[in-house]
Amino acid sequence: MNRDLRFTALKKTPFHSRTSLASRTNKYYNWNGFTVPTEYSTTELEYTAARNGTSVMDLTPMCKYMINGSNANKFVDYLVTRDLSQMEDNTVAYIIWCNEDGKVMDDGTIFKFSNTKFMLCCAVKIYNWLHDSAEGFDVSFEDATDTTAALAIQGPTSCSTLKNYGAEDLELLKPFGMKQYNINGYDVLISRTGFTGDLGYELWTDPANAENMWDSIMEAGKELKIRPFGMHALEMTRIEAGFIQTNTDFMAAEGSLRPVRMRSPYEIGMGWLVHLNKESYFVGKRALKKEKETGNSERCLVGLDIDGDKPAVGSVIYNEKKEDIGIVTAAMWSPTMKRNVALASLKRPYGIKIKENIFAEIYHPEELEYKKIWAKCKVVKRQFFSPERRNKVPADLYE
Amino acid sequence: MSDNYDVIVIGAGHNGLVCANILAKKNRKVLICEARENCGGLVEESITNFVPQIPLSVSSSLGGLPVKYKAKSTIALSESGQHIRLVGNQHIDHKVISGFSSKDADRYVEFHDKMSSFSKALGSFMMASPPRIMNNTFSDYFKLFKLGMNVRMLGKKKFNEFARMIGLNIADELEDNFENTLLQGLIAHDAVLGSNLGPRSPGSLINLLYRMATHDNSIFGGIYEIDGGSKAFVDTLLDISNKNKVEIKTSSSVKRCITENDKAIGVELHSGEKIYAKKIISNADPRSTYFSLLGTENLDTDVKRRIKHHRSKGKVAKLSLSLNKQPEFINCDKNDLVSRMVIAPSIDYIEEAFNPSKFDKLSMEPILEMKLKNSDQSNPVLDIQVQYASYGAQEGWDKIKDNYVDAVIKLIGKYAPDIQSCIETKTIVTPDDIEKNFYVSGGHWHHGEIQIDQLFMLRPIPGASQYRTHLDGLYMCGAGTHPGGGLTGIPGKNAAQAILEDA
Repeated sequence: MNRDLRFTALKKTPFHSRTSLASRTNKYYNWNGFTVPTEYSTTELEYTAARNGTSVMDLTPMCKYMINGSNANKFVDYLVTRDLSQMEDNTVAYIIWCNEDGKVMDDGTIFKFSNTKFMLCCAVKIYNWLHDSAEGFDVSFEDATDTTAALAIQGPTSCSTLKNYGAEDLELLKPFGMKQYNINGYDVLISRTGFTGDLGYELWTDPANAENMWDSIMEAGKELKIRPFGMHALEMTRIEAGFIQTNTDFMAAEGSLRPVRMRSPYEIGMGWLVHLNKESYFVGKRALKKEKETGNSERCLVGLDIDGDKPAVGSVIYNEKKEDIGIVTAAMWSPTMKRNVALASLKRPYGIKIKENIFAEIYHPEELEYKKIWAKCKVVKRQFFSPERRNKVPADLYE
Repeated sequence: MSDNYDVIVIGAGHNGLVCANILAKKNRKVLICEARENCGGLVEESITNFVPQIPLSVSSSLGGLPVKYKAKSTIALSESGQHIRLVGNQHIDHKVISGFSSKDADRYVEFHDKMSSFSKALGSFMMASPPRIMNNTFSDYFKLFKLGMNVRMLGKKKFNEFARMIGLNIADELEDNFENTLLQGLIAHDAVLGSNLGPRSPGSLINLLYRMATHDNSIFGGIYEIDGGSKAFVDTLLDISNKNKVEIKTSSSVKRCITENDKAIGVELHSGEKIYAKKIISNADPRSTYFSLLGTENLDTDVKRRIKHHRSKGKVAKLSLSLNKQPEFINCDKNDLVSRMVIAPSIDYIEEAFNPSKFDKLSMEPILEMKLKNSDQSNPVLDIQVQYASYGAQEGWDKIKDNYVDAVIKLIGKYAPDIQSCIETKTIVTPDDIEKNFYVSGGHWHHGEIQIDQLFMLRPIPGASQYRTHLDGLYMCGAGTHPGGGLTGIPGKNAAQAILEDA
């Protein structure tokens, strides 16, 4: 117990014995203090599985907090910008939360079991923030990150895979719904959520069940093109889906050193999650109301459709006068859409009023030389990929 | 629902009364809700030895109070009887100190001049509403510029000295200058008075500058006092309130602020009664204002953090001893007994008394400031300010109170051997009592430490300076705001100005 923290190795998730066995590349990275694979075989293959079969990802490192107490529903409504007062039991909602200046701290999902019990999932640790916010509310918190094993099962055949695994009537579960199962003697919570913009589910269970669950699901999906996938493939799918990632597409307010780097929800395309007409107060409401009224949001986060096929990774965006108007935060050639897409943070009015005649300066590496490309871009909807099957009820089944 | 009043002031402390009257004079219809039966709040002789010290600016904005300058004298008691008697006059004080050390006497004049010029440079800043850089307005920048200029105009040498001293502890400065430990103890006492600091705590020097700014820029100087002291001050304020048609509701404690569209529009009393007004002003301490009146559910997390970290633990108890005759203080004559008497024989003594208070414990040898009231009559009262009587003492005030009082009396006995036989009754008011009876969280005189991180535009917390709170329409006028407590009425006056500016 007295080990020097500086030399403490990264933690292994409850799936590690299986993920490490599946990994051919031995490529891992540090996600929230855990070691997890960046890719198992090749990113392209894993990406293809996610879009055509079933992909499995170890989600355990996600921050997970249980929020309990008689005021839990009021507290959650106070914490986040979205109006959750009408949220039904056994549903999930996508949320963001802000600091007092109305700058976004992180996004995440909130799982509602009842008015007195919630689970919050997010990327950035916020245990302190929860405690300090709780002053005046009857709530308690439990950091369930280490005590809950989580697995993402995503892709068109994911529903069939999970049905084979034992999740009865899963096809009837609506998007952002969740259901408690008992499979192979263990409680498993299945929610129809995910980060790939496709049909998909996330499973939450006791770490003791992790290995059994992994093995059973791999077996269940054997005929359904199942494959574990790592962070790189996830990054591809999430860009296509137009999902934003904290500290990639915007800086978390608590973590950014420069106040000018902090972004309000309106500046990262999350205005739709801010319900200023919510009856009760929520953190950042005064600042956000002021921003909305004065309309002084400075930036915006948009999707770009870029000419050519060279990904505009890290590109600076210019107007026709060659003035710097923003930066690409994530970019890729989308194999599914056959489009060169990117997410970009632009200075208004670019992206809002001016959507044409903007350019990306792409430096494309070609064997120790850079090819400089001046590519024309068009501002488009950020959600590049959104197949019908994503929200279909009952979900598509395959044999 | 109509606005019955223009302004509701929550709390009839002196700042609340000053604020209400300035607004009433500008034809606002004002109501004051006071939780207690009496008005005046902490302006009570049972709480502190402080007498109201009203700057002329406050007096004049109330239409002129009968204040006049009164010189003060201070005596630092020594067990050996070698007391030091100071009156705030350079020539006399120089002569007195020469009797102990001629080097100290010269140094004292130098030290005093230096401190005095610093307190003058800070003075105008101390009295006015603090600037706020976030506002980005010309007047706020100008104020800052003026402060900078005031300090810079001291000259290069003094400016450097100011920069050196602003965060310094008082002990270092005193030990550099003086050799007489009693003199060191006396000045150190005045520097830490009412604060949560020992003489060796960084920042204790600014506390002394703060005190000087409200004492005519002199360490032992006089003050602008109202005839008749605390009671007269409150009575005068109530008279003026009457004249200005300020309504006062006593025994009406406010439960919360009523809000509509995130704006304060009235108050709800504990009785259930709701009263509406255009503006609400809280004379309560910052913690109560934010957590009770505004309500935790209406605060941003960052604000909650700041209020929770706001330092407001009181450290001073007031012990009143009614006596049946005048006690005989060793080597003191009748004139000495009307002085302020201080028991703080050395810096080390004070630091030792301070040490247990870091752990919320009590020292049985505290530092004392005493005043003998009605000294010429047959029933004198010895008013004693006992410092480092920690709020929420670990020993438990209920259990230790009697022992503590006895310890204080025993301590006084070293300087007045017959004190025990003179005592008729003894009453002590601890910070815990102040919290309970006067609704001041932490029982702090100043509603919060006077420290560099809780002063000027940072008082009471960042984002709430200039007497405005985070809620539109809710203001603060208590000692928790700039420049703090000390029975000056300045926070009340500045708050009234802020409200008039916003109207």
